[in-house]
Amino acid sequence: MSFELRDHTADVAVEATASDLAGLFGALADGLAAAMCESIPDDGERFSLTVRAESCEAVLFDYLDHLIYERDVRAVLPVENRATVRQEGEQWVVDASARGVPLQGLGAREVKAVTYSEMAVEETPDGWRGYVVFDV
Amino acid sequence: MTDDESPDSKEFDGIRLERVREHVWEIAREDDMRVPARVLASEPLLEQIGDDKTLQQLKNATHLPGMTKHALCMPDGHQGYGFPVGGVGATDAENGCISPGAVGYDINCGVRMMRTNLTYDDLQGKEEELVDSLFANVPSGLGGGGIVEEGIDTVEAILARGMDWALERGYATEDDLAHCEDEGMRPDADPDAVSQKAKDRGKNQIGSLGSGNHFLEVQRVTDVFRPEVGEAFGLEEDQIVVLIHCGSRGLGHQTCTDYLRRIEKEHADLLADLPDKELAAAPAGSELAEEYYGAMCAAINFAWVNRQLIMHRTRQVFERVFERDWEEMEMELLYDVAHNIAKKEVHTVDGEERELYVHRKGATRAFPAGHPEVPKAYRDVGQPIIIPGSMGAGSYVLRGGEESMNLTFGSTAHGAGRVMSRTQAKQEFWGETVQDELRDQEKIYVKAQSGATVAEEAPGVYKDVDEVVRVSDDLGIGDKVARTYPVCNIKG
Repeated sequence: MSFELRDHTADVAVEATASDLAGLFGALADGLAAAMCESIPDDGERFSLTVRAESCEAVLFDYLDHLIYERDVRAVLPVENRATVRQEGEQWVVDASARGVPLQGLGAREVKAVTYSEMAVEETPDGWRGYVVFDV
Repeated sequence: MTDDESPDSKEFDGIRLERVREHVWEIAREDDMRVPARVLASEPLLEQIGDDKTLQQLKNATHLPGMTKHALCMPDGHQGYGFPVGGVGATDAENGCISPGAVGYDINCGVRMMRTNLTYDDLQGKEEELVDSLFANVPSGLGGGGIVEEGIDTVEAILARGMDWALERGYATEDDLAHCEDEGMRPDADPDAVSQKAKDRGKNQIGSLGSGNHFLEVQRVTDVFRPEVGEAFGLEEDQIVVLIHCGSRGLGHQTCTDYLRRIEKEHADLLADLPDKELAAAPAGSELAEEYYGAMCAAINFAWVNRQLIMHRTRQVFERVFERDWEEMEMELLYDVAHNIAKKEVHTVDGEERELYVHRKGATRAFPAGHPEVPKAYRDVGQPIIIPGSMGAGSYVLRGGEESMNLTFGSTAHGAGRVMSRTQAKQEFWGETVQDELRDQEKIYVKAQSGATVAEEAPGVYKDVDEVVRVSDDLGIGDKVARTYPVCNIKG
């Protein structure tokens, strides 16, 4: 799995690829962290979260939104993101965890929100590709 | 080529614009567009606007139910998400819709300017002390906390009462309220419509700048173009003023996100007819539209208090640095104006008065002289409009122009507008170099939590603010009053 930060006039976009959907979600979340900070220290405790939504795109949106929420209320930058993605009936479920690096002294910049703008979650011959624009 | 020699039409990626008059370009109605779209720009600005997806996003905006007359792009417009930044869209408040996507995530992101009776001479020699002290005392960046850190009860009081809460707690004066749009309080605010998640995010950020393009800047007035209006605004050349640019922080961002998702679930039919999910809109009159309007107004109140607390702290910093009371330095609010907002306003359309939701996303209200919603202090000259430039260029103070009600639902630009992405900016500029050059060559002292922020906000990433303001002035939607130039700048 890997991600790249992509050009966007005012905001920032993350493009990621992975062999499976779980890896893609984790890579996009790591891209979110990279959009806020270039150099990540080794400290911080892991925390976990679960998100449910009505579609694959919606659960990705809610997952990334929840990471931004956790960032603000825990005052940590969520890095080294791991996720599993599954379907339960009509619901999509993400169980995830991240290492929360304390924001104090980190010099991180704020990503305000995840957006649906140009969002892509698609299967490719090599696995999965995702694209997300974040509001900065 | 002068503007008078501009061609009659231009085309960008298959989108054709006809020149209606100087600085006014129209995209004709076609397919499912409900109204035509208009771009207000000189030819050089139009070339930049046409360079990304702004025009397609503007066309998409015309699909919103109840869109009236035209969807508009201001001279500083650029690509956003869903609705373009620099976009103005007025939708019918009875049969149309309200769109969180056309307001933006940072509800009531805005600008305020505080004047002082200090001159540039008074400040010279104290720049480093001032910038250091402001940076140390005004929370900025991620995890920097807020000036007020209390419980949810305080958040709810701020959401309900806005600047009135700040007045009661000694952070504001009656005079501050009188010089703020809507006197710093939206009466339609409904704190119960703001989610717990949003309140949790806002709790520790009350009185904080955030990061990105938000900043606090000490500036000197370099030019006054309309002396009679400058006098009414209390501005004269060489005077020191303070500009504060920030919004509703995580609370506002979460509120927008929450309602986008609720619209997706509860009004999927309306959403299915729109070309972009980020245009998500609730039908006017629906329960969700009312709830969003109440939540948005509450977040607007939160943002006003946020900027007020920063201004209050700035007064305290100036007191220490200049060893004088802030009252003695006449540190008074000139005006506070929102540039990410939707408001119910009455406008005359084809000779008929109609109540509209006027969405301004990266656009500023620009009501002219005589309008009843302009504060009494400025009603004879027009509403002050504050247009921040980059940290290496000037900012402007305008006043609402006579043509704004006819052309733009009483709106004008909100800033310079970006031309370069943040990723490219970090490749082209090095933060410390930008800081050193600004200090050594321009006598501008910049302090930031991160060098990357300085690179991302380097002067070269923005459009020419002079040209943006020239077009606004030429069109008569926002008239040039004064220009200011940075001295000290802090950012997250």
